[in-house]
Amino acid sequence: MSSETAALKVSNLSVSYGNVVAVHDATFTVAEGEACAITGPNGNGKSSILMGVTGMVRRRGTVEIFGTPAKNGDVRWAARHGLTLVPERRQLYPDLSAADNIILGCYAWTRSISKARKSGPFGKAIELFPELKPHLKQAAGTLSGGQQQMVAIARGLASDPKILAVDEPCLGLAEAIAKRVYDVLASIHEQGTTLIVVEEAPKRALTLCNRRVEVRNGMAGTP
Amino acid sequence: MKFGNLVIAGIVTGSIYATFAVCVSVWYRVSNILNLAVGDFAMAGALGVDNLYRVKGLPLPAAIAATLVVIAVFAYLYDQVVLRIAQDGPRRAEGIVVTFFFTFALSFFIDGVAKMLFGTDVHAAPALWAGQSLAFAGLHLERAGLLVLACAVIIGGAFWLYIRYTLGGKALEACGENPVGARIAGIDTRRYRRLIFVGTAVIAAVFGIVESPITGYTYLSGATISLTGFLAAAYGGFRKPGRALLAGLFIGILEALLGGYVSAEYGDTVLYAILAALVLAWPRGLGFESAVSG
Repeated sequence: MSSETAALKVSNLSVSYGNVVAVHDATFTVAEGEACAITGPNGNGKSSILMGVTGMVRRRGTVEIFGTPAKNGDVRWAARHGLTLVPERRQLYPDLSAADNIILGCYAWTRSISKARKSGPFGKAIELFPELKPHLKQAAGTLSGGQQQMVAIARGLASDPKILAVDEPCLGLAEAIAKRVYDVLASIHEQGTTLIVVEEAPKRALTLCNRRVEVRNGMAGTP
Repeated sequence: MKFGNLVIAGIVTGSIYATFAVCVSVWYRVSNILNLAVGDFAMAGALGVDNLYRVKGLPLPAAIAATLVVIAVFAYLYDQVVLRIAQDGPRRAEGIVVTFFFTFALSFFIDGVAKMLFGTDVHAAPALWAGQSLAFAGLHLERAGLLVLACAVIIGGAFWLYIRYTLGGKALEACGENPVGARIAGIDTRRYRRLIFVGTAVIAAVFGIVESPITGYTYLSGATISLTGFLAAAYGGFRKPGRALLAGLFIGILEALLGGYVSAEYGDTVLYAILAALVLAWPRGLGFESAVSG
């Protein structure tokens, strides 16, 4: 895989919280259109890799998104350049409606609410989750865990991502809901979006992803 | 007639409280921090215009424009230099406490500068709509009071429309609801914090300019305005500008009625006793528990 075709190129990525090194010199690439899993036991640095890559936390090393070096610690820059994070615990706006939560994903590329409402990414995000339609006016904080996860993914899709990075999408969800979430992620991938999924269980991750990066004690490698 | 006139006076005063309560709660929504200096911007606006117009001899529109520009620039610089360090620097984890302290310090700083520049006497910006009070059906309304009401309706309405019908307004709400989630969506939370800090400073100054002909201000008036604004904002749970607005109006009307029917001297004492009793009796309904739980 050449660097020209890489959707994401991560070189010598390290992430620390104070004196604690969570990720040490992680290097990997994700090709355009690929679905890549980041797996490993809890507390070994999987989410920290995603946090460092997307700019949620400051990092050492370099990250390139479609060949452009990503700004360090700037998640807004990443979102505007096509890398969108669907974080662990969803990070929704609980008092805003589900529809408002989703439409705010469009903020990555527009400031016009009418343009956002008429846009393809917003329409696609709503269409992918027909079960959300009766709840679009409901405050996001009052939705079930599964519905909230769907809203979080829909918000990510509304940003029109080239790369969607999803952190623990099934955490705390019932098996049937988790399967539904995975089906939607598979559908998003089939439509051409590059996918990065952080998942504790490699078996589940490989039902969706064709490649995985294993993280152990903050070190990333190919199993 | 007395009751009607007291209610009208209360609505005028209440709309001032309501506006400051909305300023307090909107900035709280964005930053999760109380701005203790909001009333001081009102005082600075009123006394600044008075000084430039009466003492320095500037035409009134120029005096108003110059005062508002100075206040906006000052608020912008204060956010860029002080609040940015408090909220965005390495002390971010302690940000809420630190920023609270810095807005408190800002209040004292503005008071001190105002004392130096404008002295200790009572002053007011010139009336923007001079003349006798308006009378209809035995009710009287100060012209300045009508301007205050008009400003409250226009500014409140514009803000409501902004929140309800624009993506920027929803982004602003998202900043207060979940700053981390807002950053993930590509929203510049610092920009919105700055926008609201500068915007509420200018709005407070406008209200000071419009309202000061009714009450007159000294360099210490800001603290009183802030206090009532906080009180009304607290009744809105600090996070709900709509409830803060209603609470401000309620406090204004109650204050006027108590002053008219109970005691002009001890009206405030009775008012705060009633407000405290309401909080004790009905904390959840008044939003106090939500303020504590965030």
